[in-house]
Amino acid sequence: MASDSRRELILAAMIRVVGSKGYKETSVADVIDEAPTSRTTFYKYFDDKHDCFLAAYDMLVEQVFAEVLANCDGNQPWLQRVENGLSTIVKLFALDPELARTAVVEVAAAGADARQRHWNAVARFTAYLEDGRELADGRELPENISLMSAGAVSGLGLDELLAGRAAQLQAMLPDLLFAMLVPYIGPRAAAEEMRRVAAIR
Amino acid sequence: MIARSQRERLLEAAVRVVAEKGYGAATVADLTREAGISRTTFYAMFDDKEACFLAAYDNVAEALMRRVAKAYEGEERWPDRARAGLAALLGALAEEPAIARLALVDVGAAGPAAQRRYRAALQRLTPLFEEGRDFAPGGRSLPANTSRMAIGAVAGLIADELAEGRAEYLPGLLSDLLFATLVPYIGPAAATREVGGNE
Repeated sequence: MASDSRRELILAAMIRVVGSKGYKETSVADVIDEAPTSRTTFYKYFDDKHDCFLAAYDMLVEQVFAEVLANCDGNQPWLQRVENGLSTIVKLFALDPELARTAVVEVAAAGADARQRHWNAVARFTAYLEDGRELADGRELPENISLMSAGAVSGLGLDELLAGRAAQLQAMLPDLLFAMLVPYIGPRAAAEEMRRVAAIR
Repeated sequence: MIARSQRERLLEAAVRVVAEKGYGAATVADLTREAGISRTTFYAMFDDKEACFLAAYDNVAEALMRRVAKAYEGEERWPDRARAGLAALLGALAEEPAIARLALVDVGAAGPAAQRRYRAALQRLTPLFEEGRDFAPGGRSLPANTSRMAIGAVAGLIADELAEGRAEYLPGLLSDLLFATLVPYIGPAAATREVGGNE
């Protein structure tokens, strides 16, 4: 087996184990069992659990990103693009609750550097919202508007994941969409988008 | 009476120690030393560090929410009430940057149970936001989760500032927080007018 794919197997195992047991409760032995691999191989690639988690988190973020970009045509209007992006993430998380818990909940327990990675990932997604300013008809919107939008969406998502209801995220897509759009286009237009998406699903 | 004051002392000590050392590095010995109580007394009150920290967290949230509610209730119109409540929140957080950071940014270090406490504390703000439904034309037909969205936006803005180590700039966030609170109910144009109107 090529060494890169062996490393990726370990990273994927880390994401699954942390998502089901929790970061604090996860041991290197758990990850070795799940991969499966040997202790020697694990320590060839990683210093310890934390080192491996950070690499796993980086991989997770890149995977989610690749998926989102694959589903977002850059030529589509802003509204369509961000709707597609959001529904891609929601679907990904709903279908893989362990990945979702690792990405959003457990990362907080993995130290300040892990939390920083989470913030960086959110900022990368948030940057895509910035073009929504064009819909404001020349009105001055707050500098922080994309952060408001992201905070509203991730708060709703976090509550569902903390309650162990990852599958429920799909059903919440209309609400999540409203939360993302409303700072830009207001409640009436956002509610219209919400109803449109609810009708398609 | 003595037992009660020991508990209070311990909860305050727990917040100070965890804010300073981080949750992972803080030990029960650190907490008892800071509070000036014995190990036996500690374990008579709490099973472990986590239980103590969760109680301490609720204590901080409770005090914060009381301050916010008091400021909020001093005004009449909903946008003015929201502005007063948010200003009180920012003022309280700016006074205690280490505790603010613990409460909104680093709380997840103590695990999912602590994160649930954090989300529950935020939800106590719900009634303050929900009044937006009566204020806004068509407010009744907004999504059931509207207040949770606004609260998430507000918390996200504050946490971002704290994570950047900019606690002293928190009061300057008031306009943005007010916009974030009002916008799901009344839209960006009216929210901008409200934010600008009182400046």
